[in-house]
Amino acid sequence: MIWEVFRQEEPGDRHTHCGNVHAPDEEMATLFAQVQHGRRMQTNSLWVAPKEEIGEVDADDTEFGGTTDKSYRWAITYNNIDASFAEEVAESEADQEEHAEKRGGT
Amino acid sequence: MDIETVKERAGPREFSPADDLPREYREAATRMIQFHANSEVMGGYLDKEFTRMAPSLDRKLACTAKCQDEIGHAQLLYRAAESLGVKSREQMLDELQNGQGKFLNCFHYPVDSWYEAPMIDFFVDGGAMRRQATLKNTSWEPYAHAMDKVCFEEGFHVKHGEDILRELMRSSKANQERTQEVFEQWWPRILQFFGPTNDESHHDDFAQQVGLKTVSNDELRNSFLNMYVPKAEKYGLEIPEYPRIFERDDGTMAVREDDLDWDEFWTIAKNDYPGSEEQIGSRRQRQEAVSWVRESMDDWETGGGRAAAGAD
Repeated sequence: MIWEVFRQEEPGDRHTHCGNVHAPDEEMATLFAQVQHGRRMQTNSLWVAPKEEIGEVDADDTEFGGTTDKSYRWAITYNNIDASFAEEVAESEADQEEHAEKRGGT
Repeated sequence: MDIETVKERAGPREFSPADDLPREYREAATRMIQFHANSEVMGGYLDKEFTRMAPSLDRKLACTAKCQDEIGHAQLLYRAAESLGVKSREQMLDELQNGQGKFLNCFHYPVDSWYEAPMIDFFVDGGAMRRQATLKNTSWEPYAHAMDKVCFEEGFHVKHGEDILRELMRSSKANQERTQEVFEQWWPRILQFFGPTNDESHHDDFAQQVGLKTVSNDELRNSFLNMYVPKAEKYGLEIPEYPRIFERDDGTMAVREDDLDWDEFWTIAKNDYPGSEEQIGSRRQRQEAVSWVRESMDDWETGGGRAAAGAD
């Protein structure tokens, strides 16, 4: 049976996928996860989940973000407004911009 | 873990569902996150009015997108609250429906014109974002994780809100005057958004000691004034004479708390204001109207749906 492994580096971080292990049950899976994924990399916590229990939808199945122009829902669209007056607004805008670039523009 | 250990260890994202936390902490965190989640719901319901009033298709689209975001934030927050093991999401939604659930003062005032859109979407959301940015450092990890996504999205709300204000204040004299009128009505409510002064706030001390909150009401309100008063003035809004705003020795601004109507605030806090009834009641109607959707999903989850489908 295959178990997907998620590692949290430091307390408060999100658990992110880091690989998988073969194991007959959950207890063994947590043990193998420690051995294979918790030794070298900084680790605070590990999660294991049966591979077959994980659902997936990918970019072949769907158009993430929809198929119509949704520029109206992004901060950068409102370019008459200068967000720098409040750092949290500026930060949100910068994050959105970064993700827009990764998505290949909005 | 006992409460003293919690206070010693308290820090950003320090506690997670894996920790054995005392009831006091879990109850305080539930109260705070439930309030926040309820406010997202009630804010979303208030905001949906603006979709109808919006003067252009672009604005309508942005307004619906914003409502969708707010309801999504509520879902994230109910999950973060539920993970404390004190109340289920169902229970919190029921409490909001039957009038026990508490939420932000600004969402107890029904809106009836587009001029109110920037009051909510720029000033109230701007204030909310100030507070939410500080909650990225809350000690309850699931709450902090929810804030990461909330803050990512909120930048659009605040900028869109400011864009509406800019548009109104650059249009006809009549529009400018009506915007000024509603601003005067909303300004004291907006200042009360941050809650009472530190020594009057019931829950502030404990919440700060255990790291749920990292910044006090007063500090948040004062930083809000320093950022948003210049914005209001930039667009030609006049700050009302009362409540009085004054400059402190260090050049930052503060408000004379006594000038604010705290009786009204505490009436609202008990859901006893006429607007409270209207807002809670209007949501209750919507909630009931779509109960069949929730019921059919529950049926499906518990096997009823599959059995019925199988019989066909």
